[in-house]
Amino acid sequence: MTILQEKPSEEVFTEPQYPWRKVNPSTSITNSIIVVLPISIFALSFFLTDLPGALLFIVIFLPVQILVAIFATIWGISKKRVGDAVLSVLSLVAFSFVIALMGSVLFSVFSRGLPAISLSFLTQNNTYISPTTELDYGGVGHALLGTLMVVAIGMIISVPLGIASAIYITDMKGRLAGFVRFMVQAMSGVPSIVAGLFILAAFILTDVSGFSALTGGLAYSILMLPTVARTSEEVLKLVPKELRDAAIALGSSRARVIMKIVLPTARTGILTAVILGVARVIGETAPLLLTTSNTNGTNLNPFVDAVSTIPVYIFQFLGSGYPTAINRSWGAAFVLLTTVAILFAIARIVERSTKKG
Amino acid sequence: MNIKNVRVPSSPQDVHPNKPGDANVHLETQNLHVWFGKRLILEKVNLAFPENSVTALIGPSGCGKSTFIRVLNRMHEFIPGAALAGRVLYDGQDIYDAAVDPVNIRTKVGMVFQKPNPFPTMSIRDNVLSGLKLAQMTYENSEEIVRTCLERASLWNEVKDRLDASASSLSGGQQQRLCIARSLAVSPKVLLMDEPCSALDPGSTRRIEDTIREISSDMTVVIVTHNMAQAQRVSDYTAFFLSEDGAPAQVVENAKTEEIFKKPKDSRTNDYVNGLFG
Amino acid sequence: MDSDGSDHLKESPTPRYFGREKSRTRSDKAFSGSVVVAALSSLFILVAILFYLATSSWPALRKEGLSFITGSTWIGGLDDPSQQVFQIWPMLYGSFLNALLAIIFAVPISVLLAIFIVFIAPKKIARALTIVVDVLAAIPSGIIGIWGFLVFTPVAEGWARLIHQYLGSIPIFVNNQDQFTRSPFITAWVLGIMIVPIITVVAREVLAQTPQDLLDAARGLGGSLWGTVRMVALPHARGGIVGGVMLGLGRALGETVAIYFVLNLIFERVNYYRILDPEGGSVASMIIAKFGEATPEEIQALLGAGLVLFLLTLVVNLIANWIVARSARERLV
Repeated sequence: MTILQEKPSEEVFTEPQYPWRKVNPSTSITNSIIVVLPISIFALSFFLTDLPGALLFIVIFLPVQILVAIFATIWGISKKRVGDAVLSVLSLVAFSFVIALMGSVLFSVFSRGLPAISLSFLTQNNTYISPTTELDYGGVGHALLGTLMVVAIGMIISVPLGIASAIYITDMKGRLAGFVRFMVQAMSGVPSIVAGLFILAAFILTDVSGFSALTGGLAYSILMLPTVARTSEEVLKLVPKELRDAAIALGSSRARVIMKIVLPTARTGILTAVILGVARVIGETAPLLLTTSNTNGTNLNPFVDAVSTIPVYIFQFLGSGYPTAINRSWGAAFVLLTTVAILFAIARIVERSTKKG
Repeated sequence: MNIKNVRVPSSPQDVHPNKPGDANVHLETQNLHVWFGKRLILEKVNLAFPENSVTALIGPSGCGKSTFIRVLNRMHEFIPGAALAGRVLYDGQDIYDAAVDPVNIRTKVGMVFQKPNPFPTMSIRDNVLSGLKLAQMTYENSEEIVRTCLERASLWNEVKDRLDASASSLSGGQQQRLCIARSLAVSPKVLLMDEPCSALDPGSTRRIEDTIREISSDMTVVIVTHNMAQAQRVSDYTAFFLSEDGAPAQVVENAKTEEIFKKPKDSRTNDYVNGLFG
Repeated sequence: MDSDGSDHLKESPTPRYFGREKSRTRSDKAFSGSVVVAALSSLFILVAILFYLATSSWPALRKEGLSFITGSTWIGGLDDPSQQVFQIWPMLYGSFLNALLAIIFAVPISVLLAIFIVFIAPKKIARALTIVVDVLAAIPSGIIGIWGFLVFTPVAEGWARLIHQYLGSIPIFVNNQDQFTRSPFITAWVLGIMIVPIITVVAREVLAQTPQDLLDAARGLGGSLWGTVRMVALPHARGGIVGGVMLGLGRALGETVAIYFVLNLIFERVNYYRILDPEGGSVASMIIAKFGEATPEEIQALLGAGLVLFLLTLVVNLIANWIVARSARERLV
């Protein structure tokens, strides 16, 4: 063994370190070039030529960005990482694209919809309102009530059926469990317009009922059922098996176990399922055009006569083409989006409180 | 002062008995500390792995041996919360230096995992060549590479007639040998093996041990094992890791394998290799 | 327990199998019965849809025969029923063209976005993006419709003009009408925006389920990020992604109101490939477009169109679910 040299002052580490997060000085120079150079070339070409931005983005920015990333990678890291560089650039472009779209949709609805919102817009109905009437008069009050009725009827029908499907698949594990799940999946693919046509053919053309909130609710229930069933199934799967076994061991009947143990345990999850079902349908226009039709006045009778709803209200005024009418559409779109956002927020809060409890 | 090339142990048993001088070292660690989150799990590890030899890492479960070898080829950083300090030198270069491309290190320091993990969507042949494709290495006469690597992993005779069959059609032991062949194809200087036989039957284990002996003729092998007999059969050097009472694990003793098993210096090593705990 | 298991091995007892536990009390039976009936409601509804659409559209379908699907004439609104002709080929072809283009636009974006979420983005951004994609999926189609009509169409019109200006010699980009709105191209973008979240959700899930040991293997061999994604993650996720694309296809085929606003429906001829022309078709939108002033016979024909759409989306959806389920099984093995 060699003679011990003077003992070096060995470093003592007390805090975790992350050496892979350190950035090489040369890499950080490369990184700034990767970011700055293509944008400057893009900006330069944008101001010096009068070619449109979309063209320059595709023809100038994207190729330059990819080339710069490739050369910077070869120079700064290794040519083995060229694929990574291209993948990163492209996926960042996809990311920005989706964020831009999402931002554009939300921004449009907010910036154009918010000015239309007022107390009168939320509470008044559409009687004596023409497409050119000022926004001070008339509103979505009747449509809001109509949507509420149609959604409520859809819920009353689809929630018990959906939960029962989920119970059958998860708890009773009946002979047909696989078949029921398959049918629920098949139903989730039914286009909304087809649901509307079916109700039209089965109830309205056969003169069982006229256009009404009830027929609209029936159409909505077809679209809600698969969402409620699938989400409830996920939720019921999470109920611990021990809980059921314990109850069965105590001699409870199966009905009692499900009604008194399983469903109460899963109640917040089932609430989430119902909310998601509502959010799925609340913006659907096509089935309502065929089943509720439209009206300008307030109709609080769910069984008789046409009723207005928010999606159909949007459709009606968008079709007319006048500026104030279009503003009404944006206002209604804002109301609709806000409703969906509130529903999702409630679902998320409920979900979180379940996880904590 | 530049401590990079001065290797002075913090405690006498932390250094290889034959070091420095009489063996070449491609890979070594200096004052290595490893954390998960805020918890320090490995402390002051100084180990050097002599060229063309097998070093076994032994110790009770959960003392950080597998974590340690993942540090050696920069696989550690993929685990959420992972952190480390100290140095890992490959041919004198700190592999955690910002200028080092980890992808490059992993082609030089290969790894075989506890559970055989051939790519199930690829054929046997493609599995052997997968490393070359992944590491973007240029190669000619793929047939010869496939054959050589499978022969060294002593799998050639069993699969030579069905190289285009799916890798998932092989038995567990065959799959693990295929994984070894796959690692050999990129010709690493060091091969790290994380309990490569723990999921296998004795027959397969035996063949893999033969393979390890064979490849160590021109490669540095580091193997984590819980099997004392295996450590004695395959390794030239053995390092004993131990974490006492929840304290971070340290290397208790590190010497030629026969010394560790025949006349260990530390009483804890003696107790462990004789099966008194762990 | 099984250390001394030599005695009971000598005698080989006949196994007893327990059937499904039978309900005992009457109320239990009633409960189980009603659950079974309710659970079969999906089946009842699907059969009822098929039955009512088929029977109520039967007169129109019988009169037109196969040319209901293959013909390109639509004459409605006449007092004399025998003069009316109802054929939907331009709409049916248009539905496929829109959906196909939408998938061409949406798939690269969705898969890249899913790769970004799973493999590239830092944890926090990935989590936020997952929520963003969920929100995007929840935006009602009516709102995408009004946005597509009023905000997006002018933008995409600019793109279409540029494509025509520089690539106009390629047949698919020919446009002789100097109108670049209301084209299959714009429709496909609006549909693509609707199905990006659907495909992304599925792709993200299957990519995130790539087994850790395979990722380790690829990285341990010196695989770069792209190499690992290309050789391990994408082959593993392929089935799931294809299933997600089929789900998106089903959604694109069934979309109604958004297309109604952004596409010019032409019933008399088929626009086979000139995607920048303001001419296109969509079975679903046709139903809305024609419903208002339809004669009773025309409504029968529209119900027939709905039947075709129903069968089409049913098949697409079943194939999609089959592919997703099969690839999920393969992942478990």
